[in-house]
Amino acid sequence: MIDQFVVFTSHGQVLYSFSPQGKRLAELQVNKVVSHLITTPARKDELGHKYIILKLDHFVAACHLEKQPPIIFLTTYVAQDLELNREAEQVLDLGTKLWASLGLNETIELNLGKKAPKNEHNYTWVLENCDEQITKFDEYFKAKFNTIKPGKLKGKEPSQVNRAGLQATKPGKKVVSNAKSRKWGRDGVMEDSHHGDTSALDFSAEGSSESTPSAVTEVNKDSFGIRTNKGEFLIKEIDALLSKNKSDVAKNASSSAGAFGFLQKHLLGNKKITEDDLTKVLDKLKHKLITKNVAPEAADHLTSRISQNLVGTTTANWTSVEITARESLQQSLTEILTPGVSVDLLREIQQKTGSTAKKAPYVFSVVGVNGVGKSTNLSKLAFWLLQNNFRVLIVACDTFRSGAVEQLRVHVENLAQLTDEAHTRGSKNKRGKTGNDFVELFEAGYGGSDLVTKIAKQAIKYANDQSFDVVLMDTAGRRHNDPTLMSPLKPFADQAKPDKIIMVGEALVGTDSVQQAKNFNAAFGKERNLDFFIISKCDTVGEMLGTMVNMVYATGIPILFVGVGQTYTDLRTLSVEWAVDTLMS
Amino acid sequence: MFELSNAVLVSLLIILISTALFLIVHKNAANVIPGHRVLNRDPTFIIAGPSGSGKTSLFNMLTTDSFKPTVMSQVPNVAEDYMLPSNVKSFKFKLMEFPGHVKLRYRLFDTLKESTYLKGLIFVVDSTIDPQKLTETAEFFYEILMLTERFPEGVDVMIACNKSESFSSRPPLKIRDALEKEIGKIIERKAKSLSAVKKPDKNLSGHDEDESNPNSLEFQGGHDFKFDALDGNIDALDGSVLKSQIDKWECWIDERSVN
Repeated sequence: MIDQFVVFTSHGQVLYSFSPQGKRLAELQVNKVVSHLITTPARKDELGHKYIILKLDHFVAACHLEKQPPIIFLTTYVAQDLELNREAEQVLDLGTKLWASLGLNETIELNLGKKAPKNEHNYTWVLENCDEQITKFDEYFKAKFNTIKPGKLKGKEPSQVNRAGLQATKPGKKVVSNAKSRKWGRDGVMEDSHHGDTSALDFSAEGSSESTPSAVTEVNKDSFGIRTNKGEFLIKEIDALLSKNKSDVAKNASSSAGAFGFLQKHLLGNKKITEDDLTKVLDKLKHKLITKNVAPEAADHLTSRISQNLVGTTTANWTSVEITARESLQQSLTEILTPGVSVDLLREIQQKTGSTAKKAPYVFSVVGVNGVGKSTNLSKLAFWLLQNNFRVLIVACDTFRSGAVEQLRVHVENLAQLTDEAHTRGSKNKRGKTGNDFVELFEAGYGGSDLVTKIAKQAIKYANDQSFDVVLMDTAGRRHNDPTLMSPLKPFADQAKPDKIIMVGEALVGTDSVQQAKNFNAAFGKERNLDFFIISKCDTVGEMLGTMVNMVYATGIPILFVGVGQTYTDLRTLSVEWAVDTLMS
Repeated sequence: MFELSNAVLVSLLIILISTALFLIVHKNAANVIPGHRVLNRDPTFIIAGPSGSGKTSLFNMLTTDSFKPTVMSQVPNVAEDYMLPSNVKSFKFKLMEFPGHVKLRYRLFDTLKESTYLKGLIFVVDSTIDPQKLTETAEFFYEILMLTERFPEGVDVMIACNKSESFSSRPPLKIRDALEKEIGKIIERKAKSLSAVKKPDKNLSGHDEDESNPNSLEFQGGHDFKFDALDGNIDALDGSVLKSQIDKWECWIDERSVN
């Protein structure tokens, strides 16, 4: 059984909500879904699903986004299994169709427009004059919803039958649950794709489907018996409504052609944008994005986003379609690159190291592909932290590449010299380690991957004892598509429990960055993700900053810093405005 | 002569047609594309604040006088030519309410940059929040203040401490003080943070970039940050949308819109 069905606008106004259990509207759940929709740029369309299905921590949400007017239909339910997915799909089908056939979309569009009647505040509420339609919707929806439920009850049966070892489903069931071409394996997993799903709620075609429970169990018959004549009557009316809606979808294509249309498109503005207007412009924009090193995948996503946002809207005065599309692209880029959470590293470090009760160092670990600049950026980060009077322990967890430890030693010597002029290179500090009192190198030679986690744990313990504020762990570079190299990352993260896992990506890399980011993000298991990116070598690519978009697009993880040069001071925070301007120029 | 007058006629006709066309187009056009960049010259009140503080509810309360269920917004709510009934002069202004999600705040910032006539800003805060955990709210507020202080006389800001009906709500002055203190800390941290990337050619060409990256709040106190040192007034008033106790806030808007 679904938990709730909610209809709301992207303005945040709830238009209709329904819960079979009669519960209050769970805003928290809806907010989580909306937040997820905002923060995750890449939405994978799961195979065979008509609607966007999101798995969140305690529930699953299926939603349908209407563009004109901007309405979201959402159902939430507890767990993702086939029955519930189906039921949610049916509920959404019913909801959207009923909503459209009652003409609510038109009324809402009118209310959002300028010509609607105003109240004493000179404002029109979205659902002004919709009371009648909403009550109708409520009544019809509830009536029809009850007919979905029996289908669901019986939908469960086949799986029970399956457990008993039978493959066949009884006739009669098929009609109601619409499980036409479905088979279940022994483990209850569906074997073939359900291509017939789109017509799941096509009640009109099947005549009076709600009157088919011939092979239904007694319980269901009873539940049907309870329904009054009015209920039956209602459902017929709803079916008529639903089938009517289907027929008038077809005639909706009329476009103003000719000279005026051309003028509107290129000069005058105030033109309703259609798919055709956009194709050329979008191709141009996509091409441009690709020349800026944006992966085709990400460029496709961005342009489809533009057409999603613009088709059906009207351009402003004296604005061509092209300019409008460019602006929309700019918005989409800004939205993608803006971090979904605010990250203030200094505050977080202060909070963790500042609490007197349980003092623990703040641990960063840096991962990435070979040669992207992990050690360099780690040293830059160390320099910045040293300037903020933190005591930094640098840990050489790259026990693989020859010279990796020596390289870090050079960095530590440099940093020690920069923080303390009196430091002589090559000298040991009072604990017998490379570095001085503020910055120190923790090393344990070279070896296999089990040595890495050992070093990491020892280093954290050492930092704890010697009251270091920050631990920076350098790791070995690894090819992202080699499972044997990637698999040690998970135990490493589990054991060392870094506060922040940073992935360094180079701006030079291009299309492969999508896969790099994805694979590294996935390498830490389900519970742990990367925390942010550092994009290095930005000074070497000029305007071709596409890698930034690729990496954020692939994972939804923000970029915090960009490396813009060779020296320790060449680390900058990302300015979204700068990145978008550069990409758009 | 005949040809000349003919030409004159034709040109007159063309002028007439084009003006008519322009007027028609102008009349029908609205800012249909949400967030479209048009310089906003109307007198404007803005509702902003972190997620879940009750901005959309307040907007609904102001526009429809009733409480309506809301969820997280994705696009701004706008009421053009909004009128407060209590207002004697029937002053009309634009009321805009922006989503509080971190990723969508750029819309608010863009609007703040592009507006020329800001009457006031209502910063809605959940007053039940622990003052210790105000840091993110303060950060958001700081970014807004950076933009509003660009105006020569600043913009008046009201910290609307919503949800005062809850027993765990805190008095508005306490929230104001907590925000003040947090912003002080943020300024301190910002000074220590790494600077943001800029276009290399801009640095060479001169200091035209300086204005868009103002440090207007830094030079103020020197030691402690105080709201009083700002150009705009910062008031903190409590209220509750749920219990429709928003008289104080309406008064505040009234005062601002009259003068």
